[in-house]
Amino acid sequence: MIKANGLSKRFASRSVLDDLDFEIERGQRLALLGLNGAGKTTLLRCVMGVLSFDGSIEVDGADVASSGKAVRGRIGYVPQRPPVFHMSLSAMVEFFSTLRGIPAETIAEQLDAFGLPLAETGGLALRELSGGMMQKALLAVALASNPQVLLMDEPTANLDPRARSEFMRALRQVSPETTLMLASHRLDEVEMIADRIWILHEGRIVFDGGLGDLRARAGADAWLWVRTRREDRDAARDKFLSLAEPEAVMANGTHVAVKLPAAGRAEALWRLKESNLAIDDFWVVEPQLEEIVQRFFGEGEI
Amino acid sequence: MSRVSVIRTLVRRELGESLRSRWFIAYSAVFLLGALALTFFGLSGSDIYGYRGFAKVMAGLVHLALLFVPLMALFPATAAVAGEREMGSLEYLVSQPISFGELFWGKWIGVSLAVALSLLIGFGFAGAVATLNGTPWRPVALLLALTLLLAETFVAVGLFCSVIATTRARATGAGIVVWIVAVGFGTLAIMGATLRWGLPRLVLSAWALGNPVEAFRLGVIASLDPDGSLLGPVGLAWMTSLGASGVIALCFASLLLWTLVPTAFAWWRFRRPQAWSAL
Repeated sequence: MIKANGLSKRFASRSVLDDLDFEIERGQRLALLGLNGAGKTTLLRCVMGVLSFDGSIEVDGADVASSGKAVRGRIGYVPQRPPVFHMSLSAMVEFFSTLRGIPAETIAEQLDAFGLPLAETGGLALRELSGGMMQKALLAVALASNPQVLLMDEPTANLDPRARSEFMRALRQVSPETTLMLASHRLDEVEMIADRIWILHEGRIVFDGGLGDLRARAGADAWLWVRTRREDRDAARDKFLSLAEPEAVMANGTHVAVKLPAAGRAEALWRLKESNLAIDDFWVVEPQLEEIVQRFFGEGEI
Repeated sequence: MSRVSVIRTLVRRELGESLRSRWFIAYSAVFLLGALALTFFGLSGSDIYGYRGFAKVMAGLVHLALLFVPLMALFPATAAVAGEREMGSLEYLVSQPISFGELFWGKWIGVSLAVALSLLIGFGFAGAVATLNGTPWRPVALLLALTLLLAETFVAVGLFCSVIATTRARATGAGIVVWIVAVGFGTLAIMGATLRWGLPRLVLSAWALGNPVEAFRLGVIASLDPDGSLLGPVGLAWMTSLGASGVIALCFASLLLWTLVPTAFAWWRFRRPQAWSAL
């Protein structure tokens, strides 16, 4: 669906995207992670053809550099900062339906599906809408033309938790056929949406894979928690201490935990069983994506 | 979606944005009131002074136009790109399936129409009052045409400033500097240089025509004063060699050039894809 060869972008002497080659399949959900200035926004803008670049990008076979307008017709876009338009929601629907070449009713229906029926909200000036309502309105505009590609640049960055969860709920209505590229700092959203993750660093893709691959690559260990009888707790802790460093073992009430790579967890359980220690329950707490990604960049801000 | 309907939609929006601007409304209202007051009071003595009474009105309208028209044009034009860039709406607009050309010309036409509409109302009323009081329509129409072109010049200058500036404040500031140089410094400089160095006629002519405000002033005076007595030695020489029509045509050409060149530069900058962004 999206294919790039030798994609590079410079601003003055600074290289923002450095010779990228990639292919994104139809319906794939790609999350772009990286430090500020890693090139996430620039990459999205290049895919839309609103920035010049070296190399080539194709969206569904159409060359972005030479057919930018046609390509943008296949793309829906939700920016980070809601744009300021001095018009009502109804006027916005009319305006963007003309620009996107779709009936206004299609956008209205999409708004309706997002809980913003025009009959009730159409008369509101856009500046009267909350950040969450505005982002949903932009998502409605983006999805109304049934785009092949949906690009989102940190769409929930300025939303409160409630608005964020409403936006994420609205996002579930995106067709599975739609290819999605999401630049985000919100790692919980990435876990919820993405089936492919890129980590951009200094204009290059330093990681490309699924969440499991990322965990494995980052060497992020998970906590194995075990619930046992109170009298068996110390014995269980000693067993775990034989498998891991003291800082990777915890005990709390009837719970004992050890931080191990995936390959060591079965053995840990087996050791407890071997010693006839009762196991009432066990579960694995995977590390947060944020923790995993930070391993790529030390303690830098993501 | 056809190119025409996209441009029409963008023009309609730009027109609405300009007409809603408080600065624009304020300048237009003051301009309308000023034009009506000048016309009404100026013509009150026309039964005694005849055509000279109308010439007084025209001179007053010229000064009014020089003061207000460039500002009326600059405010919406400088907001058109830089203002939208600040509000994030430009980024969203360019992400739509429209070309940079459609967006740029939609803005250009929209702002031009808004300014023209305001001028037509202001000078339209004043012109109607004047012609109903026996003033010949030809000089009134010429004044209106030159004023529209002067406005268009400053729309082009404002749009250029708007495209190259990173913020609306900087764009407006740059536009106002151009206006001050053209209105104040330009005239003072031409007078000072003539007194100090006695500049040759060719240099003076180029200087006068190179300043859109001077070109506007000369064009209007040439239409009112066919013998060239009010134009000074350079103007008189022009009138002798080119005739009033020739001088007016030259002034039109100067204003047209002043419109085309900044518009071309603005378009050249805007069509480079990253010009829209604040990067």
